[in-house]
Amino acid sequence: MKKLILILLPGLIWSQAAPAPAPAAAKPPAKSGVEAPLNRAPVSKEVLHVKLPRAVEMRLDNGLTVLILEDHRLPVISMNLELRSAGALREPAAMTGLATATASMLREGAGARNSKQIAEAIDRLAASIGASAGQASVGTNFTMSGLAENFDQWFPLAVDILLHPTFPADEWAKLKQRQLVSLRSQRTSAGFLVSERFSKAVYGDHPASIVSATPATLEAITPEAMKKWHDERYVPQTAILGIAGDVTPAQIMPKLKAAFAAWKSTELKAAPVPPTAPAGEKRVFIVNRPGSVQTNLAMGNIAIDRRSPDYVALVVMNNILGGGSTARLFNNLREDKGYTYGAYSSVSAGEYAGPWSATSEVRTDVTEGAMREFFNEFNRMRDEKVPAAELEEKKRSVVARFALSLESPQSVLSLSITRKVYGLPEDYWDTYPAQISAVTAEDIQRVARKYLNLDNIQIIAVGDEAKIKPVLEKYGKVAVYDVDGKLM
Amino acid sequence: MKRSGIASLALALTLTCALPAADPNIPFKMFKLKNGLTVVLSEDHTAPTYSIAVSYNAGSRDEKAGRTGFAHLFEHMMFQGSANAAKGEHSSLISANGGSLNGTTNNDRTLYYETLPANQLDLGLFLEADRMRALNVNQANLDNQRNAVQEERRLRVDNQPYGQTFESVDDLVYDTFAYKHSVIGSMEDLNAASLDDVKEFFKRYYAPNNAVIAIVGDFKTDEALAKVKKYFEEIPSQPAPPRPDVSQPAQKAERRKTLEDGFAQLPRLDIIFRIPDGQNPDYFAMRVLCQVLSGGQSSRLVQKLVRDQEVAASASASADQRRGPGIAQIAVLVRPGKDLAAIEKTVYEELEKLKTTPVEDWELEKVRTANKRSQIQGAQGTLNRAANFAETTTNYGDPNLVNIEYQKIAAVTKEDIQRVAKKYLTQENRSVIITLPKKAAPAAQPKQ
Repeated sequence: MKKLILILLPGLIWSQAAPAPAPAAAKPPAKSGVEAPLNRAPVSKEVLHVKLPRAVEMRLDNGLTVLILEDHRLPVISMNLELRSAGALREPAAMTGLATATASMLREGAGARNSKQIAEAIDRLAASIGASAGQASVGTNFTMSGLAENFDQWFPLAVDILLHPTFPADEWAKLKQRQLVSLRSQRTSAGFLVSERFSKAVYGDHPASIVSATPATLEAITPEAMKKWHDERYVPQTAILGIAGDVTPAQIMPKLKAAFAAWKSTELKAAPVPPTAPAGEKRVFIVNRPGSVQTNLAMGNIAIDRRSPDYVALVVMNNILGGGSTARLFNNLREDKGYTYGAYSSVSAGEYAGPWSATSEVRTDVTEGAMREFFNEFNRMRDEKVPAAELEEKKRSVVARFALSLESPQSVLSLSITRKVYGLPEDYWDTYPAQISAVTAEDIQRVARKYLNLDNIQIIAVGDEAKIKPVLEKYGKVAVYDVDGKLM
Repeated sequence: MKRSGIASLALALTLTCALPAADPNIPFKMFKLKNGLTVVLSEDHTAPTYSIAVSYNAGSRDEKAGRTGFAHLFEHMMFQGSANAAKGEHSSLISANGGSLNGTTNNDRTLYYETLPANQLDLGLFLEADRMRALNVNQANLDNQRNAVQEERRLRVDNQPYGQTFESVDDLVYDTFAYKHSVIGSMEDLNAASLDDVKEFFKRYYAPNNAVIAIVGDFKTDEALAKVKKYFEEIPSQPAPPRPDVSQPAQKAERRKTLEDGFAQLPRLDIIFRIPDGQNPDYFAMRVLCQVLSGGQSSRLVQKLVRDQEVAASASASADQRRGPGIAQIAVLVRPGKDLAAIEKTVYEELEKLKTTPVEDWELEKVRTANKRSQIQGAQGTLNRAANFAETTTNYGDPNLVNIEYQKIAAVTKEDIQRVAKKYLTQENRSVIITLPKKAAPAAQPKQ
């Protein structure tokens, strides 16, 4: 039984020798709150062999791509259908919210069932069935999961909801009211306000800049528009169905063929998303949220898409800068300065180029110090070569982390899906550790200089305008918005 | 490279047959070291990983008056270095070796955990043992973490809509100090915490006899036990700490409180009932009752308030599992312009139905199936199981409750639900908090 999964599934062999611990002489910089390591803890030098199972790829006659990852550890099955033509990015601007509305309405009436009957049927089976189309999404995600023992009950139900929604007008009227309420309450959250303004700043006129419907666009959406959207865009030939769990291809393929027999392919091709470009000049935005006791900060700009040759170097750079609680931003702003509960950076790289960003929530009276330290860290990333020990630690971290993904079949499956979606080479994940290991301090500095561009950085601060405006003005001309998103 | 489909399929089928049918039972072995440390080990060789969870019998209920928030502040101090790990080194070592880690504090216990590749068992044990034996504390780190915790409080409470509602619940419902204050604590009390407090708390509560270590994953039990002994057994035990009095005088009358919230856009109604401790059979019946009220779209409160009457943006009911007396809380986010008093009345009508009429068969079936699924999925990944074993053993002394709890929920009958509804969902046993959006400046008030 030992290493069951490794025997069971064809996979790849990763060998990653644990490098020797960092030499004690490599002191972290003075700014950091952490101290030089003592190197007394026992770190295994044993070579860690991680074999990642690979999903089996199939295709139905209607063009639907199916990726199956067998995992019999638990008697559960999860399925994720990404409808890659039905994302929010592809909806008409006058009907912002159409993709989300259509996704939400699937459960409000399908086949012979009404909303309440669908809710009861799903809950009785303890299944999870639903769809969502996030902001700036390329596709709509339809997810179905539940126990293996009643798969033959919940799967047909899910397919009925997916393929035969009825879009009842009365249910849309009710759902619209619920969505109008949430449009209103989301504006109380500083977190929402900062992400809204950041998206607008970095994406400009691109459709990815739209983070939410408005009351007017919701009013423009009709059951007919949703039906049309569903007919045209919920199509198999541009979709990918990922399945993980207690199944075998031999068991499930006949069921998929039967369930999707009537789901016909169409002429619709996977349309490319218009390209994004970095905002051209440095800008500073304040969202005035009176009464705030913290300032929510976000800064960054458009960087890369998932296919970019700089992806791997930028992943490692992000791990050094702010990818977690051992990275520079956290160590500086929290562990050394005590300005915040957390400070992080991230890189969003998908179908189109998304932003790198750095974020934190700091008490109002240290907004100035926090801004200074953010820029100190950006500059250090650009101006100085990463010390060897720090680089090795972060690279090792990225690679060794893959062992943990073996605990979750969904995580392993997502690797296969990523490879498929972005057309990465067949051996992409086999060579990934080697690609990470090959990243040099020069590579890190090159991508830092290229993408952490301080001449066109976009800076957002949500907080008490009266207190933080003088601070932000030091970084450029400030445009102030109210919590409704109106320029003041 | 991919093997041929036929070959791997044959292998898969063989192995499928060899696996046990859906058995949500998680095997484990329990040991006690000479110094009183309780050890729970559970082998699982399905992935080359393991998780370690160390639970200390110290939560916010153990705090002294004037030191609210201290158990959680102390949790932060556990990441500030120990005799053989510099500040930041613990986290760096875990991260650099592909692991993850964190800590969490609640009313009843404080829990620390790591997940790591299986070949790093010594690393996780060494680091946990080192900070149990010899934590490094100094004034600079205390001041720094006090700041971090105060920012955590601002982030989660002071800068959020309904933050003060959340904090008012325990204060209104409980009468004795142990559970009457929040885990995050007050700014004042956080400011008052001293280095001596930290040292005293460490000595008293962070002793091996006051801790449980649970490890789940890819190891051999005898080898893991030998390593646990090697790293932990020489840590000296301490006198058993005093346990707080969590008992309360019976509630005699309804309690009400109205709050104004500068960030809130929607009014909110919270109705809270006192219930028994988290291993009492009535607790499990209350948990099923709450699932009937708000588990899933088909549940009673969601259908009634959100869908049919369209008066609420959301409605939820939950039963809080505590070592001492717990609470069941109904929370309704009210839509603009709707009559709060009428909504409160509707909720009470729904609660009366639970007393007078047995729940439907399908409702009970739904809760049982959901419970089964959640028990099965709870076994995904090693961390959840390790944390569950450590916490449950700290709170109730018996790791097997992790397995039995599932059966206890499955055993709840329609009669049980009716009985607990009558017993606990009464006017004199309830507290009501109404949160209203604040009209005047400086509140954030989007125009609609």
